[in-house]
This record gives sequence, structure tokens and C-alpha cells, in this order.
Amino acid sequence: MANRGYDVVVDVDQEGDLGHTDLQEDLEFHSSRRKHFLWTLSFYAQAFDVDTNEVLRRCQAAIFPRANFLDVLEGNPDLYGPVWIATTVVVILFLTGTINQYLASKGVGKFEYDFKLLSGAAGLVYGYTAFVPVGLWAVLKWYGSESANLLECACLYGYANLVWIVVALVSWSPVSILNYVFVALGLAFSAFFLLRNLYPVLSTTEAKTSKILLVVVLALHAGFAIAIKVLFFASTSPIGNPKGGEDKGDGKGDMMMMSR
Amino acid sequence: MAAMMPSASTSSGNPYDDDAVERDLIDPDDATLDDLDDPLQGTSDRAPLTGNISARSGAANTQSYLTSSIPGEDRRAPTNTIDETVWETLSRDLLAIWEKMKQVLYPKYLLGGMMQQGGGIGAAERGDADGLGGSIRNIAGRWPDADALLQSGMSEGLRDWDLWGPLIFCLLLSLFLSWGAGGKQKDLVFSGVFAMVWIGEAVVTLQIKLLGGNMCVQSQARTAKMLTLLSAFFQSISIIGYTLFPLVIAALLSAIGIPIIVRVPVYLVLIAWSLAAGVSIMGGSGVVRNRVGIAVYPLFVFYIALGCLCFIS
Repeated sequence: MANRGYDVVVDVDQEGDLGHTDLQEDLEFHSSRRKHFLWTLSFYAQAFDVDTNEVLRRCQAAIFPRANFLDVLEGNPDLYGPVWIATTVVVILFLTGTINQYLASKGVGKFEYDFKLLSGAAGLVYGYTAFVPVGLWAVLKWYGSESANLLECACLYGYANLVWIVVALVSWSPVSILNYVFVALGLAFSAFFLLRNLYPVLSTTEAKTSKILLVVVLALHAGFAIAIKVLFFASTSPIGNPKGGEDKGDGKGDMMMMSR
Repeated sequence: MAAMMPSASTSSGNPYDDDAVERDLIDPDDATLDDLDDPLQGTSDRAPLTGNISARSGAANTQSYLTSSIPGEDRRAPTNTIDETVWETLSRDLLAIWEKMKQVLYPKYLLGGMMQQGGGIGAAERGDADGLGGSIRNIAGRWPDADALLQSGMSEGLRDWDLWGPLIFCLLLSLFLSWGAGGKQKDLVFSGVFAMVWIGEAVVTLQIKLLGGNMCVQSQARTAKMLTLLSAFFQSISIIGYTLFPLVIAALLSAIGIPIIVRVPVYLVLIAWSLAAGVSIMGGSGVVRNRVGIAVYPLFVFYIALGCLCFIS
């Protein structure tokens, strides 16, 4: 960082006083202060203006919520967390879902993994993390909320996904009751996290709308959790025919998208 | 210069040097027949000429033997290859790929960093770390220093990117993985892995550029900036593609079908090798020191995902 300070050229005149001070036009001390255009890379770089400590601190704040998460963001919401937490969730869900199926199908013959599990996970997680915040933001804007911010919504949903990493890591076992408990815990935790942080934003609308919105947000999140359970940790019900379970899960994900 | 000017002007009024004019005049009375050029023989005239050309092209050849550009079509190409055999042409290209692979897959800065007592990415990013961050950093404590990583830059050979390595390794990876997959989803796995590799490479590169921040070289013209950006983009795609080689080994092992117990340690080592090689894109990419961790993480996820696919197939 030492070489990224101000670059100043000072002209000293004949008389010895400072002539004109030529501040270089484009200093990059905080890129969000400058105007960027939609088609430049630097426009998107604004959303990735974080460093390692900051990301770790945000993850910590999402797992052990003490303060309101929007306060933790300090007005600088990032997209790094949402994008890469979602990717991690996809990979881990695929891995543990496959292990789950493998353990459940032990002895049936040569095990074959299901590649559709990966695409299903990607569609479900990326879809949920991308579309629901946009929808929520649009609805809030429609009802004239001043404090709604698209990046903050996306950031909130993105970091709420963090708990699914933990859930996926522990629920590889084919014991059905354990998986139900883990997914329910994950649902409760992330729903609490979302509601707690969304409530101040939602309550800026009228009382009736805010209640409906709250219920919709909760229902969508519950749908997401059920889709995860059915898609990835369903060793009991559709294991005789993994393809059937797969289709059901995908249909649920699609339905969820439609119902938004 | 100032001393010469007056003497030149005072010696004679005319601008011509008399001696030089005298020498250039051909005096047929003095000359014998041997002094004149014989157009039929010509060896004395041509020998230095050919010597000169071959010496120059040889020097250029050793300088950039890593390029696989087609001589005769590319103006950077040093030699005309119309006379050489097909095998020579092919082997030069293969050699270029092999050389690049050696440079990518031998992560020398990593070994160097380990020798100088470690410290690591974690140590470079020290600060008010506590709890979660601190424990992660202790694990990563043996990693090479972030400064060493950022300063290392890219060796000259890697600046000449090509996409042969990425294409070959991507195809091989998809092929081996689709062999390992079940009968019905062979084509699905092939296309899925192929798309995943290319999209993953693009996204990881884009992420590094987004975190980098020095992509906008301000003083350059717009087109030049665009070209630099594109070149840097493909360069890092090329490097990531070459680092897929350990994962190709893993996929081959999976296709052969080695037992699961053996897979775990072997694949972990292979993934670590890929990651260690892949980190070399960081050099010169303009990532700031305290962002090295989050710039490496996408790469880590990418290799882990491919490694998982190899593991379970």
C-alpha cells in the first residue's frame, strides 16, 4: 500500500514559493467515490472493494451475529462474499450429497454419481441467491422504501448462505433423522439472521405490506431449505430411484422460482 | 560537435570532401581485372550476406523459442520454415508447450518461500486478527510470503501465452471423467466438465482482475488499454489451463479405478500441486497485499471442485 498514496508534482518557482500543485487526476484511494460507467471493469470492482480481514470479519459476524449485519457492512456491501460463498455451498452440497447417496446405496453394485446433482445445486443456490434479493429490492422500491439497497440485500442473502456450508459438512450421513435436524437447524438459524437484519428495512413500508413481505421471505427461505433437503440429503425416500428424487427436487426449485 | 564545425567550414568553401570524391572515382587505368566484381563467381560478395542473416535469425530463435507462432505468417517469427520437415514444425510447437508446462508446474517461488522460514500469507496479513481468522492463519502459516508471491512476477516464457495447454488438458480431463462416469451420463459429464473448466477459468481470472485494481493503466490510449487487458486475461487463462495437469493425472487414475483409500492422499497432493502452481498468476496481476487471501480462494474452490469430481467418479 505504500506506493499507492498521493502523487503530487510540486513546481518551485524562481521566487521560491510553491507554484501550482498538480494533483494527479485519477488517484485510487477509494474507488467508490468516483464515477464509473456500467460497461467498465472498474464499475464492478467497486463491489469487490474488500480485503481478506474484512471478508473474514463479515463471515464471523454472520455466524456469530452480535450486531446488526448492515452495521457490520459499514455502508460498503461487497459481492465477493455472496458469489464465492454460494460457489462453496454448491461444491460442498454436491460432494456431501454424493457421499450421502453412496453410503445409502452401499452394496447395490458399482456406485455411479449423479452429475445432475451438481447442475441442480448450482441452479438452486445461484438462483436463490441472485433472484430473491433482486425481487425483494424491487418490491421494496415499488412500495416506496427509501432505505432499500440492492447490494445490501444481495450481501445479506449471500452471507446468510454461510450456514449451509456448515449444514452440508455435517449431514453427509445417511441417517435421515439427523439430516432433518441439521437442515431444520440451518433453516432456523439463517431465517433468524435474515429476519433480524431485514426487519428494519421491511418495516419502513406500511404495516400490512411489511407483514406480507415478512411471510413471503420466510416462506421462500423455508422452500429453499426443503429443496436442499430433498435434493441432496434424501437418502431415504427416493433412493430406490435417484432419478425420481432428482426430478422432484428440480420441480420444487422451479416452483419456488415461479412463486416469487 | 562544436569543435568540429568551424574546422569543417574553414578548410574549404565547398561542402564536399575532396579526398572522398577522389576515392569514389573509378580510375580504369589503375584497376586490374581482379579488382572488379565478377558477376558469375560472386562468392566474395554473398558469403558475408548469408552469414549475417543466419546469425541474426539464430539469435532471434534462441530468444523466443517458446513461441509457437507460425513462421512465415507471423511477422514476429524469426525463420522461414517452408523447407523444414513437418516433424520439425510439430516438435517445435510441442517443445514450446512442454517448456511452458515445466515453468508453470514447477512452483519455484513456493519452494523458495518455504526455505526462507515461512511467515506466510497469514503473516503478511497480520493485523487485528482474532478468533476464526487467527486459527485459519496459523494453519496457513507455512505458506510463502505474500510479498514474495506478488513480487515474483511472471517469467518471460509465460508472457507468450497460448491456449494449447488449456485446450488439451481440458479435453483430456473431460474425456477421462466421462470414461469414469456411468453409461447414461457420459455425454452430460463431458460437456459439463468442459463448460465448467472454461467458465471457471474465466470467472477466476475475472475475479482476480476485479480485486486487482491496477487493470486501468491510466496513461494509455483506450485501445491499447483494451489490448493489455485482453492479453493479461488470456495469459492467466493459459496459466490456469496448464495447471490442470495434476488434475488430469487424478482423472486418469480415477478412470483406471484405483481404490478409494489410495485416492484421498494422492488426490490431496495433486490438488495442492495444482493450487501451488496456479498461484503464480498472482505475480504481476496487481493484487494488493492484503487481498492475496481472497484472490487465491476462488482458485482453491475451482481446484477443489474438479478434484471432488475426480474423487467420486
